[in-house]
Amino acid sequence: MVGFVAGLLDATVQAATVLLLAGMGELISERAGVLNLGVEGMMLVGALGGFITTVLTGSHWLGFGVGILLGMVLALVHAFLCITLKSNQVISGVMLTLLGTGLTTFFGSGWVEESIDGFPQMTFPLVGQYLVGVPVVGEALFRSTATDYLALGLLVVVWYFLHHSNLGLEMIAVGEDPEMADTMGVSVFRLRYLAVLIGGGFAGAAGAHLSLAFSQLWVPGMTAGRGWIAVALVIFAQWRPRRMLVGAYLFGLLDALRIRSQSISLTLGPDAPLAGVINPVVEFLMTPQIMGTYPYLATIIVLAYAVIRTKSDQLAVPSALLQSYSRETD
Amino acid sequence: MNVAVHVDAREDIPAWLAYGTPVFTVLAALAVSAVALVVLGVNPIAAYATMFVDTLVTEFGLTETLTKAVPLILTGLAVYLPLKAGLFNIGAEGQLVAGALAGTWVGLNVPLPGLALVPLMFAAAAVAGGLWAGIPAYLRAKWDVNEIITSLLLTFVALEIQSYLLRGPMQGGTGNFPQSERFSEAATIPELVSGVHAGLLVAVAMVVVTYVLMTRTRLGFEITFVGSNHEAARQAGMSKFYVYLLVFVVGGAFAAMGGISEIAGAQGRYRAGFEPGYGFTAIPIALLGRNSALKVLLAGLFFAVLFVGGSSMEVAFGVPAALVEIIQALVILFLITAEFFKNYRVGIDFDRGPSGAAVEPQGGDD
Repeated sequence: MVGFVAGLLDATVQAATVLLLAGMGELISERAGVLNLGVEGMMLVGALGGFITTVLTGSHWLGFGVGILLGMVLALVHAFLCITLKSNQVISGVMLTLLGTGLTTFFGSGWVEESIDGFPQMTFPLVGQYLVGVPVVGEALFRSTATDYLALGLLVVVWYFLHHSNLGLEMIAVGEDPEMADTMGVSVFRLRYLAVLIGGGFAGAAGAHLSLAFSQLWVPGMTAGRGWIAVALVIFAQWRPRRMLVGAYLFGLLDALRIRSQSISLTLGPDAPLAGVINPVVEFLMTPQIMGTYPYLATIIVLAYAVIRTKSDQLAVPSALLQSYSRETD
Repeated sequence: MNVAVHVDAREDIPAWLAYGTPVFTVLAALAVSAVALVVLGVNPIAAYATMFVDTLVTEFGLTETLTKAVPLILTGLAVYLPLKAGLFNIGAEGQLVAGALAGTWVGLNVPLPGLALVPLMFAAAAVAGGLWAGIPAYLRAKWDVNEIITSLLLTFVALEIQSYLLRGPMQGGTGNFPQSERFSEAATIPELVSGVHAGLLVAVAMVVVTYVLMTRTRLGFEITFVGSNHEAARQAGMSKFYVYLLVFVVGGAFAAMGGISEIAGAQGRYRAGFEPGYGFTAIPIALLGRNSALKVLLAGLFFAVLFVGGSSMEVAFGVPAALVEIIQALVILFLITAEFFKNYRVGIDFDRGPSGAAVEPQGGDD
């Protein structure tokens, strides 16, 4: 049992990192008022680009960097369409997911057979070698890949950046009230571009982590909807970085549980009262595919609950989300 | 000398732009996709010739195209109708799956002769798809919960349920494939002409119904009014709640009919991995055809040609069928770019002096 829980936690951390990276990018972009539904496509482009680079050069970090860069290239298209041309953000985002999926399937078909040595597992610097022996959580927390630690570090950076730096606060202002921000001398266009580009970079990093650390291979469509989960995660976290940490680990746990659900047995013994009624229900709820619906259902319920029960300022949906901004000119 | 770019909203859109935009964007998308073909060492002209000529000239190509167009037109309508009311249904895929599952269940379990069974399958699909779409619709109409996110998330729920049912309770046939039992003769949609099933009639009928609804009825006018200005519509005494619920539920029913048409008409059984992305392709279809339901029909046919031509190109040149996805995405990309140039006039101004005369270069300090 202890071994099972330790393994589960280890898988949770890995699954959570993908969601954390992609979710942070989405959060920054949405905070500036631009919804990015292209995360899935940007992740795929980052995953393939990172993988090919690593195969050709042997360097994970170069691959990771190329992944980030390619995510940003797609994000630049999104920024140009949504901010400069004031196009519909939903259409542009869905289009970019379609484009990223198509491009990576098209150009990645020859790379499916390749194998790489991905990011190595390492103990956390300095204290890791002592703490890794802690039962159950030690391995999960203190022996991971460098990108796992990087994602957690970046979360702190993003939280500080958004809520405690001038640039970050200006970004939030742009997402809440662009007219006001413009009047105050903040460049709405520049900040939105920056936010969307950072968001794309994070999505690319999430994809590169997926192919270089999580799976260590390339398969077309390997993100398997995680980009959409990241969009859902931001709503779940109500646009707050700290809640996103909780959400990412919760969704990561669901992801890890679902993969391992076959080896869990929560059914009652045949003689227990009501076993005949409860056991089929439990078995049904533990089916991998049914467990796969939980993150989506949880998000819908949280979103509906939050909208119905709280005022919109508490919900913290950026007020100008989905609205393009045109500067009044003479 | 200063050069300034200025952007002005056009007061009226010239006819050549209005009609030329869809054609031009498609050509531009094909031109850019040609780059990908060249990278693979395929002659793009030969490839496109295969893609379009073979598809439109051979009997096989034509029947395949008409068959493929059925779910595309119906999911296109599923996005088009809510769009008219100002709502985004990006979950047509989930509604299609939910409906197809319900219709398949009826087809496999209800003992009725074909004349009664097939309509019942369509009805069951429409109800299931309508209910599935009803969830985001109700949340949006009642509490303003964003329908984009909820309809999308429900797509993934529907896909998981599909995968569960076809590996469990609905699994049939021989072997361990996640698929349903094969449909009986009675549960199969009859052929209209050789190779084309009667689902095409349903699709065309729904286009006509939508067209009449939007252009000839008071309800259609209310939908357009709510879509263009729901505040004014409210003051005019129109119910946003009712309109929102209606367009989404009817849209979901359309998508569902597309799903059961494809399963019971073209496939013969429900296979897992039936995630053809019709619901996502529906978005460019609805956008290309957003002026009228008849244009949705044309856009659906066009994308059917792309899909069928894509597979013949795959066979003839070994080009991955994913190219079709790239072309689709590029069509939308250029379409929304063209939208901008359609609605705005972009001019470049060379700085002029106060008198209006062009300023001559002044000395050497430029």
